[in-house]
Amino acid sequence: MAIQEDRRRITVRLTVLQVACVVVFAALGISFWLLQIVEHAKYEEMAANNHQRTLALRAPRGVLYDRDGQVLVDNRHSFTISIVREHTKDLDRTIRMLSEVARLDVNNVRAIVARHKAEPSYRPIVVVEDASLAQVAAITARRLDFELPDVVVEEVPTRQYPAESAAAHLFGYVGEVSDAMVEADDTLKSGDLVGQAGIEKIYNALLMGQDGARVVVVNSLGREISTLEEVPPTEGKRLQLTIDYDLQKAVEDVFKASREARLTNAGAAVVLDPNTGEVLAFSSDPAYDPNAFAAGIDRATWASLNNDEQRPLNDRALQGRYSPGSTFKMAVALAGLEEGVITPDFRVNCGGGANFYGHFFKCWRKGGHGSIDLRHAIEQSCDVFFYTVADKVGVDKINKWATLVGLGVKSGIDLPNEVEGLVPSTEWKRLHTKEKKWYAGETISVGIGQGAVAVTPVSMAVYMATLANGGTRVTPHLLKAVDDGTGWKPVPTPKPQSQVEIDPGKLQAIRDGMWMVVNAAGTGGRARIPMMDVAGKTGSAQVISNTGRVAAARSGKDLRDNGWFVFFAPRDKPEVAGVVFLEHGIHGANAARVAHHILDTFFAKKQGRPLPPAPTPEQLQFDFSDPFGPGRMPGQPAAEPEEAVNDTN
Amino acid sequence: MLERRLYYHIDWAMLAGVFALCAIGLAQIYSATGGFTRIYYTQIYGIVFGVFALLICLSVDYRSLADKSHWIYLGILLLLMYVLFFGAVRGGSRRWIDLGVVNLQPSEFAKAALALVLAKFFGESRRGAITREDLAIAAALAAVPLILIARQPDLGTAVTLIPVVFAIAYVAGMSMRIVGVLALVGVLVAPVAWKFALKDYQRERISTFLDPAQDAKGAGYQQIQARITVGSGGLWGKGFTKGTQGQLRFLPVAHNDFIFSVLAEEQGFAGVLVALGLYLFVILRALEAARLAKDRLGAYLVLGVLASFTFQVIYNVTMSAGLAPVKGLTLPLMSYGGSSMIATLAAFGLILNVRMRRFTN
Repeated sequence: MAIQEDRRRITVRLTVLQVACVVVFAALGISFWLLQIVEHAKYEEMAANNHQRTLALRAPRGVLYDRDGQVLVDNRHSFTISIVREHTKDLDRTIRMLSEVARLDVNNVRAIVARHKAEPSYRPIVVVEDASLAQVAAITARRLDFELPDVVVEEVPTRQYPAESAAAHLFGYVGEVSDAMVEADDTLKSGDLVGQAGIEKIYNALLMGQDGARVVVVNSLGREISTLEEVPPTEGKRLQLTIDYDLQKAVEDVFKASREARLTNAGAAVVLDPNTGEVLAFSSDPAYDPNAFAAGIDRATWASLNNDEQRPLNDRALQGRYSPGSTFKMAVALAGLEEGVITPDFRVNCGGGANFYGHFFKCWRKGGHGSIDLRHAIEQSCDVFFYTVADKVGVDKINKWATLVGLGVKSGIDLPNEVEGLVPSTEWKRLHTKEKKWYAGETISVGIGQGAVAVTPVSMAVYMATLANGGTRVTPHLLKAVDDGTGWKPVPTPKPQSQVEIDPGKLQAIRDGMWMVVNAAGTGGRARIPMMDVAGKTGSAQVISNTGRVAAARSGKDLRDNGWFVFFAPRDKPEVAGVVFLEHGIHGANAARVAHHILDTFFAKKQGRPLPPAPTPEQLQFDFSDPFGPGRMPGQPAAEPEEAVNDTN
Repeated sequence: MLERRLYYHIDWAMLAGVFALCAIGLAQIYSATGGFTRIYYTQIYGIVFGVFALLICLSVDYRSLADKSHWIYLGILLLLMYVLFFGAVRGGSRRWIDLGVVNLQPSEFAKAALALVLAKFFGESRRGAITREDLAIAAALAAVPLILIARQPDLGTAVTLIPVVFAIAYVAGMSMRIVGVLALVGVLVAPVAWKFALKDYQRERISTFLDPAQDAKGAGYQQIQARITVGSGGLWGKGFTKGTQGQLRFLPVAHNDFIFSVLAEEQGFAGVLVALGLYLFVILRALEAARLAKDRLGAYLVLGVLASFTFQVIYNVTMSAGLAPVKGLTLPLMSYGGSSMIATLAAFGLILNVRMRRFTN
């Protein structure tokens, strides 16, 4: 084979290789052109998504103060522990390791992660809210060892409520916003914490701050390298409430003592300034710990709160409807007086009971009160007197005047989900019952606050305030001033719900009767405070009819009467008005004893005396005698059981 | 030793291209590793030693080297076997001989050794065309180091030996029919190899390449990140040391396998064109050297060393853009790696050697 031919073949084949190289390199160049020029925008965005993270900086909610500037609800720092799945190679390994390090139930953690599976992988899944320092330390150490690079510990502001569930229903609680709320309100976004009850809910828009954001550069392990941009969060507006911390504490203290005395652990109290409607104290028992919600409530706690027979989530002051019993009698008296049916000197002869429309209605005092006038009828809580007045004035006039003093209607308080009470009328019967027709006999029971009458404790407080201020149905309210960072701005007092001129002479008769309840031979003596002219009225209301009582006796349910005490003071120039309600508190006198501590604290503070110490259970000296207790089962020969009157005082 | 006359025939242009690529690589290593690190200095030592190796390969007449090629070949085989049993293990592979201060990777030198022995084999063949026996012998010569390297395991480097055989055999006159048959066999063998020869992680890499999104966190991750790295660079790049992908380690081993991605990110399409241009220039100059070679031995030698170089450049650049399965193949002259640098520069020493001795006897 000739050398020449050999060389020519080499040259040709080398040329082929040369061309091939040029072609391949040209192809490479085109590939890079496509990636770097044509599709540049797409990849640039992907690169930015890779290394930039926008982290929400949660804004602290506005701090709540009492009327004297004392902090009621604050914020504290807490730590959350989250998993960011973005760079997780083995999620289950992370879950197992995290559970071990933080001492968590691994199945629980798996369940939490599973719930959030659909969310974008860069969004942290919060596994532990309000982590302990030990957990934080353990995880931080592992993170530094690169063992848990996908676990993040964040510091977030968390609501700090007072200890011992104080005023829990008033403050309410916060929780993660629901999807429905996010859709309804475009200022909210998924993951936001919003008020779910109480002040937190109704003033959520004020209290919620503006979350900030921090854009950070992260490396491939998700670790923050530097901050590109930071918008600091704006704290929510600070709110000053009308609540008086000392008075609120007095309420909490005395209810606590009641619980410890084992009388009852359910009840409510509302204390108002009768001239403005400012709420000085507000309480419902039993309560829950709002702190448990602040950092995300766990399912077990939530379930136990919901399944608790005492319904601690229920705000009794606002949502509980109870028969007012004898405390209703002033409304009946007012109707009689203002409608001109009776005068303050009107007298009735009580013989221990009376016949109306073919039924015998008895007075709580078997022997009767004899001839009795309005003042003494209130003092002695004479049932026959009020049967008679009710019969004369009629149910519709009672309804009119009860409404004017705030009963059977919403008070308009600035708290969510208020329930309306009920004061019956012929129209109500026609519209809302099957029977439709009102029977005159029914009016008799209404006269002593029984029958269909149902009231909420907060409406009872308004009732007292209206009697105290002479006819202005003030709107109870909690917000006194707002500070949006530029200083406190007072919030105008809300307009009264209604106003009526009550004849001062007639009103005085009622006030005198109420004064005598506390300061003379009445049943409210336990609420007496020297020199302070406390005016009040006790009430005990059955929770069940007498026939029902016999049937339910073995059910184990608590069938003891509810105890009421409504009050204002001082009689002639009232500064405070309110209500104490004890569920199954048996006697109104027990409620009066509870009210005593509240009133005593109020006047002590006003006069600059040292505040009275929290009462001990023994000091309360509750009356535990149950008129329907064992051995005292009622024999009710006279009236029909449903109509039977068992208002013990 | 180096006659003055020869000095004039050194291909200075190609040499300049080679060192320009080394400089670009060094700069990108600086950027990717965050300054004057141990890695950076190791690379400088690699270049310095590489220059010595280049000078040595330049000074000795390639014909006398070819005469001793069988000894060099056998020596490399022994080293490869030594590595297989006593080599230092890193990342699950046994590739290195631990010399205390440096680690030597014999497989890098196997390419040049194979080129030498094959060049000699085909160059001395008196027959005009290549017979099948010739091909079988050449294949066997390549197969021994290939298998030894693949056993380390280092499939990437092992595969770079194949172009050496092909390039030399092709230019040496392998008939086009055999080229066709081999291509056909390749197509037929691929599925069998897929099933039996590849390890799980290798199979995974290839299947992920075909659909990176199926495993965006695992094997597909690097490929997607490589594409993002390159694509986000744009026309002029993000600037030296300003790349986010490489700097923040979204792209693994940025100073090594993915050095070209980092270049593309920080210097943009413009930088890519410069680097690709330099590589193409060097390759074409080397092919020119093969054409100018005084004898077949010289031409085959140039082709042999150039083949593995070119193959590696093309594969690595393609992989850097996320357009090929991720494999542990470095980019010659730019990637971090002492042995690779020394071996590559030595190979260019051989190419220069052939070119400058084109007039000597």
